[in-house]
Amino acid sequence: MNARGRQPGHGDKAVASTQARPLLVARGLAKQFGGLQAVADLDLDVHEGEILGVIGPNGAGKSTTFNMIAGALEPTQGTLVFDGEDLTGLPAHAMAGRGIMRTFQHNKPFASMTVRENVMVGMHRRLKGSLWRVLLAGAGVVRAEREAVRRADELVSFVGLGDWHDADVDTLSFGQGRLLEIARALAAEPRLILFDEPAAGLTPAECERLTDIIRQIARQGIAVLLIEHDMRFLMGLADRVVVLNFGRKIAQGTPAEIRADPAVVEAYLGNVGAMADA
Amino acid sequence: MKSLAGFLLAGLVLSAVAFMLGSYQTDVYRKLLLWITLALGYNFLFGIAGQVAFSHFTFYGIGAYAMVILLFQVGLPLPLAIVAGIVVCVVLALVVAIPATRLEGFYLALATLAFAQLFIVVLNEGGSVTGGPGGLANYRLPDILGVRVTGPWYTVVIVFLLLGTLAVLWRLDRSWFGRACRAVRDDPQAAQAMGINIRTTRIVAYAVTSALAGVAGMVYAFVDNTVNPPIFGLENAFLLLFMVIVGGSGRPAGAIVGAILLYLLPFFLSPLIGHHHALVFGVVMVAVVLFQPKGLIGIWDGWMTRRRAA
Repeated sequence: MNARGRQPGHGDKAVASTQARPLLVARGLAKQFGGLQAVADLDLDVHEGEILGVIGPNGAGKSTTFNMIAGALEPTQGTLVFDGEDLTGLPAHAMAGRGIMRTFQHNKPFASMTVRENVMVGMHRRLKGSLWRVLLAGAGVVRAEREAVRRADELVSFVGLGDWHDADVDTLSFGQGRLLEIARALAAEPRLILFDEPAAGLTPAECERLTDIIRQIARQGIAVLLIEHDMRFLMGLADRVVVLNFGRKIAQGTPAEIRADPAVVEAYLGNVGAMADA
Repeated sequence: MKSLAGFLLAGLVLSAVAFMLGSYQTDVYRKLLLWITLALGYNFLFGIAGQVAFSHFTFYGIGAYAMVILLFQVGLPLPLAIVAGIVVCVVLALVVAIPATRLEGFYLALATLAFAQLFIVVLNEGGSVTGGPGGLANYRLPDILGVRVTGPWYTVVIVFLLLGTLAVLWRLDRSWFGRACRAVRDDPQAAQAMGINIRTTRIVAYAVTSALAGVAGMVYAFVDNTVNPPIFGLENAFLLLFMVIVGGSGRPAGAIVGAILLYLLPFFLSPLIGHHHALVFGVVMVAVVLFQPKGLIGIWDGWMTRRRAA
């Protein structure tokens, strides 16, 4: 673990940021599907520039939590406050409109578009405006569009797809598709990015690159919430970790605290190997 | 700047052609321009926004009837009739779109088919307002500032309509709105995650393209100087769909190629094989869908890619 090397001072910053007001505050979040309580009474804080990892065995409620914050599912109970504004129950596009962006575990590129155009769709919340101004092709609209192309190319290069701006998305590998997901989310100039199992399906080299990118994103002051199966990947990356089991939070703390927590070890009993590995 | 010069050049050439044609050729030429205009709008709705709607041609009819009724039954002056006609189209488009865009694919198709049928029923049963099955005739375009716009000059009006429609769609396609429409078509869930309001996007795309079809209909009203129910039947709604698919859906150039080919095909085929041209039509359609789903423009793209590779 230590061999992966945390950035010097990185941990200090996380401590400092926990003292400031959290960007996202979830209180008493709950989701019920018929008789199934998928998530119950969950409190969650995410701070700017912080990487918060959420782990838990299958069926622990990770994805449900993720989808409630992303606006894909409406909470049965509880509140979601983002930057002081109550966003509970808003649809996905409204969440994105406020700077909460997400990636998909199974890449969801816009298949008919090039890499650059995909990233430009991510800029929707900043570019959208009056259709009349689009029709009149005013100088402002033309300039904004040119700037958008430049910024998109910059982001494509940032995630490491530098030579692929004009490529059709179906020519990308799975790992490259994941990088495109990230570039597209960054294009919105998000304040919080939700990653849904970003390491799933990636080669070790790609995971390494992903870790690097996510660290750089957090260093820009963007809050990062990661849902992950891959303990090794998550433990090496997160500033804080929240552990869910049967829809409830059973532990939270730094990766070191989590590894030592008996409740977590208990929850992962069938998975001791994974814990030891991480 | 370059595209503006292109538009001007196209306007000049298309207008110049209008002054070289006899009366029969003028009729064919005008309708060709109108079909291209309709196909461009439908390409945006069907090909780019991905909405399988059969109401585009209906709005063409609504525009035409609205124009005639507003001018000659209500007695509005021409500029007011044009504005009121557009308002009618947009309002009706919203009436259809707001419930129908909740539906997807098959169900949107059904709802708009029903709307198209309902329009024909209303025309037939409309009494003196719509003229019933015989429609409305015996009117002509009011003088504009004391000038009677006829012959090739009215064809120039249609050229302006075509280029205006093309310009509007061109701007929309190359903007955040066009990307939002494509994104919603490609993957609604991902589009939503990008902050795109799926419903609003669908409704606006439907209303804008329907209004464009309505404006084309207003211009059409003075091409034949008669409007009647059979003109706006489903047959033409399907022809429009075929034009976009054969040309290459999602591509304006495809819509233009498809409209030219399918509109002119019968003129060349019927002298040769009479009414069997419908058969050729069907075969072309099936062949394109099976072997060239990207349409004729897809063949052209293939050539260009190969040439660049070579």
